[in-house]
Amino acid sequence: MEKVIGIDLGTTNSCVAIVENGVPTVVPNRGGYKTTPSMVAITEAGKRLVGHIAKRQAITNAENTVYAAKRLIGRKWNSPQVKNAVATSSYRIVQGPHNDVRIVLRDKEYSVSEVSAMVLQEMKLIAEDYLGEPVSKAVITVPAYFNDNQRQATKDAGEIAGLDVIRIINEPTAAALSYGFGKNVEKTIAVYDFGGGTFDISILEIGSSGIFKVIATAGDTFLGGEDVDARIIDWLVQGFKEEHGIDLRQDRMALQRLKDAAEKAKCELSSVRETEINLPFIISSGRNEALHLQRTIERNTLEELSGDLLERTIDICRQTLKDARLEKDEIEDVLLVGGMTRMPKIQQAVGEFFEREPSKGVHPDESVALGAGIQGSALISDKHDMVLLDVTPHALGIMTQGGFFEELIPQNTTVPTHRTKIFTTSRDNQTAVKIVVMQGESERAEENELLGEFILTGLRRAAKGSVEIEVTFEINADGIVSVHAKDLETSKEQSIEVTASSGLTRDEIKDMIDNAKDYMVERRSTEEVEAARQEAEKLVGEIERLFPQVEQIVAASDFGRDAIEKARAILDKARQAIARRDLAAMKSEIEGLSRTHRMFKGVVAKTH
Amino acid sequence: MTDHKKKRSSRPPKPADEENDRPTVSPPFDVEAFARATSADTRAEGRGEQVTLTNELELERARSQSAMRTDPPRKNTPSALSIANAHAPSAPNIPAAKRALSPTSIEAAVLGAIATSPGQAGPEISERTIDDPVAEMTERFSLGDYTGALEMAELILAEDPGNLEAAECGENCRTVLEGMYVARLTPLGRAPIVLVPPTQMRWLSMDHRAGFILSLIDGTSTVETILDMSGMPKLDALRILHELVQQKIVAFK
Repeated sequence: MEKVIGIDLGTTNSCVAIVENGVPTVVPNRGGYKTTPSMVAITEAGKRLVGHIAKRQAITNAENTVYAAKRLIGRKWNSPQVKNAVATSSYRIVQGPHNDVRIVLRDKEYSVSEVSAMVLQEMKLIAEDYLGEPVSKAVITVPAYFNDNQRQATKDAGEIAGLDVIRIINEPTAAALSYGFGKNVEKTIAVYDFGGGTFDISILEIGSSGIFKVIATAGDTFLGGEDVDARIIDWLVQGFKEEHGIDLRQDRMALQRLKDAAEKAKCELSSVRETEINLPFIISSGRNEALHLQRTIERNTLEELSGDLLERTIDICRQTLKDARLEKDEIEDVLLVGGMTRMPKIQQAVGEFFEREPSKGVHPDESVALGAGIQGSALISDKHDMVLLDVTPHALGIMTQGGFFEELIPQNTTVPTHRTKIFTTSRDNQTAVKIVVMQGESERAEENELLGEFILTGLRRAAKGSVEIEVTFEINADGIVSVHAKDLETSKEQSIEVTASSGLTRDEIKDMIDNAKDYMVERRSTEEVEAARQEAEKLVGEIERLFPQVEQIVAASDFGRDAIEKARAILDKARQAIARRDLAAMKSEIEGLSRTHRMFKGVVAKTH
Repeated sequence: MTDHKKKRSSRPPKPADEENDRPTVSPPFDVEAFARATSADTRAEGRGEQVTLTNELELERARSQSAMRTDPPRKNTPSALSIANAHAPSAPNIPAAKRALSPTSIEAAVLGAIATSPGQAGPEISERTIDDPVAEMTERFSLGDYTGALEMAELILAEDPGNLEAAECGENCRTVLEGMYVARLTPLGRAPIVLVPPTQMRWLSMDHRAGFILSLIDGTSTVETILDMSGMPKLDALRILHELVQQKIVAFK
């Protein structure tokens, strides 16, 4: 049966999981790491870098390295989050042709879905390398607060990456799925997710028959482990300046090393009480010598440096519980998700706030991907006990007089569904009404997402409140929202169909899919050439190493001299094939090289 | 005894047991070959009495003569590069400059130009000064001194960014030099490892750029990956990596 992969497409790191023989497993990447940085870079030579390599050059090639693309996906150009990102990002963000967001890398514009697709493509490759077979279906997770456009943009990213995204699920739901896997759980839980770039707190109700309901969710999209790293960097930079009078921030190479070292120290301090940061030759003193940075950081120092950040997360938890009208004792378990939750101080603070020990039952880095993997497996299997129901992530409704939002379809309603409500005119002799369709939970319409609008005209002239208009919202199985408005007296009606949009047209998506395919073909071909080249070079090296010994042993005989000449000819042809990077020739020469190598080894072995 | 103490105290503080473990860092040129060449020349000249060079002109002549016979590494050019240059094929698309074969090498000519002070008679090699940087660049290129030619090209471009000849020559130099370093570090799919223990790292002699490259070496990242991660011009990263290998600070598995 075809495998479905589960992908946690994170702001700073991504993770891919599958279910193998009934066991959910995270797939490590080529470097052996179970998470891959969600970073994409283009080098000066035009080469695309994704993951750890992109991360390790993120500061020295800052203008051409994209991080935290997730903060931008599916957003409109004029949204506050995009404005914030434009002001704080090292890479260039520009307005797209459909009021969407584009990222400029080496003078080329990419849509955010395209950049996210590069990360997804990497996750797909990781899974394919592990499984040894192509993968085409995936379940991808998104934050619970993502609206339809953001979800659609994530789906588009999957499509560009060559994946059929069979379901998009909420991250806290995925973590809860992983937590509840194999158990019969009926609980109200809190998922405290403190990752590299964002913080989210979600309250979920896990019911019987696979119902996972997100009761409340909140967070901060600009608060994460990277802020803690920045505090450590500040501390190191300040100390170095006091000692040497040099600002390390002025040198990108120094800053890159500081960033790597700060993150490493932060991770180490979760298990040890102090750690040394040793960065020799960090910067030139300007007197023809380099200076070294060597400092010891204690866990207490880290806790002091990041105390306010931790406090911010607790404040958000407090507010979320209040909004959900829940008491702490109603939360039956607390799941810790995200790398930052390894920090002992965070575990302690969360425990103290919720007045209970957080659960150790889920892996902070892997649980979301594992949950997605579990869901993917359930969707294609005969057992449906773990299949999540497709629900509306946010409430749907219309704007009413005074700028208020009137909800028609509540959040978490199972789709397909439809709801109807009667509205009246708000002015005397009003002949037309504007139906503004929105999505969100705020009572203030302006704080919700605008999905579309249309005008119903030809209403009879009458006193305000006396003309009745029936508004019907319908969501079909494909998630397409239709809104109808009908004058009940005249039966005149107007309607609109709202499809979630990532800001990309079908043609654009098609072009991007083609580009991604071309890239993969090229990459696979380069990898094949590289593998052949390495094998050929290894054999050439081995034969060259044995050559003097073999020559000495066999040169006395005609047969030996002939063999030596033949070996030389094979080596020459192989070197030429390597220089030309000619795959077919290299493959053909590898055969001859292997034979020669075996023969040489045999000759040497016999004489010893 | 006092002197000995002074010597030790002038060194950076370090544990006594590390003294013997300190790695011997090879100088960036072939010491033995250089010593043999120099001593052979000295013997050939038959130095009867010791001469003390006291003025700039004499000093310059001596430098020029020395440069004629031996080819010592230039101070600011790594020896590895000099070796690479010596083996480098001439690039076909740059015409060989006219070679007014003064008895000196380019290094001596440049030294002469620098050493000549105003009001003093310059050495005989004065016709080959840095006054004509384009000719100097072309000459160096034709002699296979690609680093020197690149330096000249960069100097020219700093003054005149639109100089096409310098831009082209600089590009050609980079291509040739990159090729040389790649040839020495190939296959680039290998992962280098650091040979010097972290505790002894700070006693090495290197600049912060080499320190940065060294920080990227983790035993799993290949040369290609390191080049991509460095964010430096490829040539610079290759040169530094090659020097680290030459100095036995870095090796391949």
